[in-house]
Amino acid sequence: MTREEPPDWALPSWDALPAEPRGDRATATGSTRTPAALGAYGIRILGVSEVTRTIRGAVRADPRLADLWVEGEIGRVTVSSAGHAYFALKDERNQLQCVWFRDDRLRSAFEAQAGLRVVAHGRIDLFEPQGALQLYVDSIQPAGLGDLTLRFEALKARLAAEGLFDAARKRPLPLRPATIAVVTSPTGAVWKDICHVLGRRWPLSRVVLVAAQVQGEGAPASLVAALRKIERYATDRAATGRPEEAPAVTILARGGGSLEDLWAFNDEAVVRAVVAHTLPLVCGVGHEADVTLADFAADVRAPTPSAAAEIVVPDRLEALAGVRALGRRLDASASSRVRSASREVAAERRALDRLGPGAQVVSARERVGLLLDRATRAINDRLVVERQASGRLGPRLDVILPGRLARDRSQLERFDRVDALVGRQVARARATLDSAAAALHVLGPQATLERGYAIVRRAADDRIVRDPAEAPPGTRLSVRVAHGDIPASVDPRG
Amino acid sequence: MMRMMVAAKTDPAIDALSFDDALAELQRTVAELEAGGQPLEGAIALYERGVALQARCEKLLGDAELRVQQLVARAGGAIETRDVRPEDAADEPASGG
Repeated sequence: MTREEPPDWALPSWDALPAEPRGDRATATGSTRTPAALGAYGIRILGVSEVTRTIRGAVRADPRLADLWVEGEIGRVTVSSAGHAYFALKDERNQLQCVWFRDDRLRSAFEAQAGLRVVAHGRIDLFEPQGALQLYVDSIQPAGLGDLTLRFEALKARLAAEGLFDAARKRPLPLRPATIAVVTSPTGAVWKDICHVLGRRWPLSRVVLVAAQVQGEGAPASLVAALRKIERYATDRAATGRPEEAPAVTILARGGGSLEDLWAFNDEAVVRAVVAHTLPLVCGVGHEADVTLADFAADVRAPTPSAAAEIVVPDRLEALAGVRALGRRLDASASSRVRSASREVAAERRALDRLGPGAQVVSARERVGLLLDRATRAINDRLVVERQASGRLGPRLDVILPGRLARDRSQLERFDRVDALVGRQVARARATLDSAAAALHVLGPQATLERGYAIVRRAADDRIVRDPAEAPPGTRLSVRVAHGDIPASVDPRG
Repeated sequence: MMRMMVAAKTDPAIDALSFDDALAELQRTVAELEAGGQPLEGAIALYERGVALQARCEKLLGDAELRVQQLVARAGGAIETRDVRPEDAADEPASGG
């Protein structure tokens, strides 16, 4: 039983030494069996894949390596054609290979660049084809803010668990707020931008600035105080009998900046004040990509301060189009009423022609004539009003939206045509009435009634009864005498 | 005849309506007129009122100018608003509020 010493590099470390060496070395080295076969010298020799798999298993079993933040300096960055970035994170002595896959990389506002100190988040795993341990990065922040990022995530998780960001908490915004409160800095572009947008879209409102410090140490307290002040003002208005002066919605706004600049909007006290605010609140902080906890807490998150102003009010040009559409329905309805009234007048004339009570026609003519005069006048007045209105709105709206105005003008011209049509119908109806009245005067049947005669009509169809056969027993009648109608019926016992 | 007198076009009540109130009443008036059923003079009165309401809405939309104010807390704790130009808004002086 002689044993050669194995070379240093072959010292076993993966498994216990076997009790019995096996003679057939060729078989052992050529084998890929698992677990490893025992080779010459009683040593278990492993395949490369077995080793990498074992390392991988050990790495994956360690929870510290599954979710970690690593701070370091980025070395040379290579981006593959598939869009994945490869780089090393270094400190003074060591380095760690990193992979940042395309999808995660494109989601990030931050780009990996050589020389930057960063905090990367990800997991350690083994890239088996190269036997390389790597950090698989899912996000990267500039170093120094890493602390803020961690605090942001921790506070976000805690407040979300309390339900402060729940969709069910969100309140709808008022349709057309008469008063809008704005919490922001009075200096800087944000406040002016908001005024500009509100003035352009919905100048019927009143905007009330509540000045607040939006950056720096005192900012959180200042923002909370501003929100409380709005609530007190609203309560005060309601208490003094002017609830309509209370703000209907609050805008919380700040311009863009670094994560540190926007930090006040991640302050817990501010987030809680936003949640507790008694008015619906729109948050417009920073640029599109900036997200703060106040955004999550608000009823509506606007991507920018100007967008917040756009969201809280309607557009007056749309409102104008809506009002004009109602006006067109009004006109259409009135025109059809005048047309049917004209038809009724003509029908009444035919009935009275057969009957001929002159006084009735005179009074009916008077009544209908007055009404038709009034309708014509109303329609004429309307043309004047419309023209004035379009003259007044014209210059201002021309600047804003010439196409829309041109459309409005063509609608006005259509009104002209409708009005002309109605006017002609009114004139025709009046002419018909005039001739009917003239004819009746000649015939003068009222005089006949005055002498005590009566006109008998069937109630069902107003036909004048000239023959008893036209009124069988039970027929309901209307008997016209000089000063009115008497309802009657034919004796059913006939 | 009475109704004709009541529905005069320069109705001071209409001239005092807010946009929301005028619009709501215009919508009601249009719906009522479209539903029909009223005598001709009632319909004309509704029409005239609708026209006046539409004019009121358009005037408000055309003439309106944004009112810009700033909320200020007085030393006693009272909160007031004062008119400002957007560019003249200022940090609120420290106060007892």
